[in-house]
Formats: sequence, C-alpha cells, structure tokens
Amino acid sequence: MSYFQVNDQCNGCLACVQNCPANALQAIDQGPARTLQHNMTRCARCGNCWRICPQDAIEFQYLLRNKWDDVVKLQLDRCEVCGETLYTLAYGQGLASKLPTALKPLCAKHKAGPELLAQTHFPTKASSAKGENT
Amino acid sequence: MIVGDLKALDEIIASLKGYRRILAVGCGSCVTVCLSGGDREARELARELSRTRYYAQDPPLVNWTTIERQCEKDFLLSYLEIPEGTDAVLSLACGAGVQTMASLYEPLPVIPALNTTFLGASNEPGVWEEMCRGCGDCMLSFTGGICPVARCAKSLFNGPCGGSQGGSCEVREDMPCAWAMIFYRLKKQGRLDQLLKVREPSDWRPAGGSGVRERRRTGIDGSPGD
Repeated sequence: MSYFQVNDQCNGCLACVQNCPANALQAIDQGPARTLQHNMTRCARCGNCWRICPQDAIEFQYLLRNKWDDVVKLQLDRCEVCGETLYTLAYGQGLASKLPTALKPLCAKHKAGPELLAQTHFPTKASSAKGENT
Repeated sequence: MIVGDLKALDEIIASLKGYRRILAVGCGSCVTVCLSGGDREARELARELSRTRYYAQDPPLVNWTTIERQCEKDFLLSYLEIPEGTDAVLSLACGAGVQTMASLYEPLPVIPALNTTFLGASNEPGVWEEMCRGCGDCMLSFTGGICPVARCAKSLFNGPCGGSQGGSCEVREDMPCAWAMIFYRLKKQGRLDQLLKVREPSDWRPAGGSGVRERRRTGIDGSPGD
C-alpha cells in the first residue's frame, strides 16, 4: 500500500521532490528508469507537493484517508462462561502476575474482572501507599 | 504547538442554539496532539451534543468529520465534505482554523468549540506549558533558550522583578521565576556575560502592534526567490 500516489499525468519533472520541505520525496535514476520514492515517516502531509505539481498528478487524498496497517496479531482470552472477549492472552498473563489469586474469568459479568483491572491500573492512594497491585 | 482547551459544554450548547443540523469538524494537527480538538474529541463532542438531556425539544443532528488542517483553504475546498442541509459548523480547531473556515464558507456560521490558549510544549504526558508568545523578535539566543516574554508572569525583558524569591515567581509559588531559570541556565553554559551586555531596545512591532502579521515566503508562485 502506498500513501503517496500519483496518477498517470506524472512526468517525473521532480517539482515535488525539489519542493518537499520535509525531504520526504526522492527520485532514483537507475538504468533506464526514474523511480519516485516517498518516506511516510518524514512526510508532514503539508500538501506542498500537491499544490505545486504542474501536472496535477498527485492524488493527495490517499495521504488524508487510507487503509489501516496491521501492526500485530495477538491471541485473545475470553470469558469461559459467556465467551466475551476479555483481553489478549499476553495482557491476561501480565495481569495475573499482579494479582494475589489466580484470575478466573467466569461470569457473573466476568466476576470481579473490571474491579481488579481498575485496581491494577488506577490504584487508590491507600493501595498505592501499601504497594498493592503495583 | 498551538494549544487549545475545549470550551464548557453549556457554552457550546448555548452557541449552537437554534441550529438543527450541525457538523463538528476536528483538526488533525496541533489540537489533535494536545488532545483537545482532534478526531477523537470531535466524535465524542458530537455524541455528547446529540444527547436529549441537554435540550427541551429534540436534540440537533450532529455529524462529525476531521480534516488534516483547518487553516488551509485549499485543503478545505478539496477535501472537506459538508453534508447538504448543514446549518452550522462547530470547529474544534484553533482560532486560525475557525477563521479560515468562517471566511471560506460564509455565510455558514462557524462556531468555535475550543479556546485557543497558547503556543506551548508538553513536558510530561497530558501537560502543556506556554513557551512562546510569537513576539517576532526572538531573543532566546541571549537568554539560554528560556523566553522571558512567555515564561515571566510580567514578561519582564531585562531581569527579574523584586518578587523573585528562591527561584520562584511571586505570582505562583509553584512556577519558577523565568529570570532565575535564565540565570542558572547561562551559568551552567558559562555564558553569564550575556546578561551584562547592553542591547538595543527590542523591536516590538513584529509582536502585533503594527496590525495583522503576515509572512510572505518568496520563491513561491513565481515571486523572486531569496
């Protein structure tokens, strides 16, 4: 997937490369071909390339709205009774290591799950002072 | 970045009184980063404004969208879609974005949802501090990178006032005195001589005293480059 896309009007004039304030565009001339490259981590999405392109070739909408990138896939842990998603397996393991008793995700509404989560992530002043759940 | 704060909900509701189809527009730049006017806040605000509890009659229809920057007319013209029948826009941008939208879509009312507060930086998650007042005649090179205009409660330009006590400002004890910070920073840098130099009075005209400030970058649109 490419965020920076041009239509077939692009003639490789390099106006976009020369006018990109973030140096997010470059052209590689190799053999018989010129390749235009874009680096998303440098791009400020300022729109300068789109404004100055003499060919109206830059399809800037793909830099404003585009697809989602998959980042990571993790196994889910579900309530053994109702089947609802609780959290990821890895998160549950981290949570279990912070609790004094084994975590058993069984309904009535996942037993005390939300309360335990709250205690873990938002300790009260009293529990912080005692060093609980930290 | 430009920092903004969401206005109180009752103020927003009062300013939208009488409008039935509202478009809340988030801005994808500074106010997204300072967690006050981005896509998430636009969506939350639209949802909140749609609740019946705030209205004696039916609530208005509040849609929401976000554009990368509300302060650029060509972005708005090309990419912002305002649903037909919208009778007011609620902008979650800074004042620059609100005014750009208001001028572009005249006579459609563009109502601010934010108070634009200052130019600042985040020193810790969720906390932003004023750093710059955009005075247009930067003296940070003489003051160890600490701005007395923005960081001194009195914007004193030539040293601390008599209220500087133990490194704190007299206006608020938890606020460090800008000039104490400047002194200690320059001392660490071995540049205390900077404070002894006599300088020309600052030019305050670029601070806004000459009317609307404008920056023209030459070399754009065929103008002679520099």
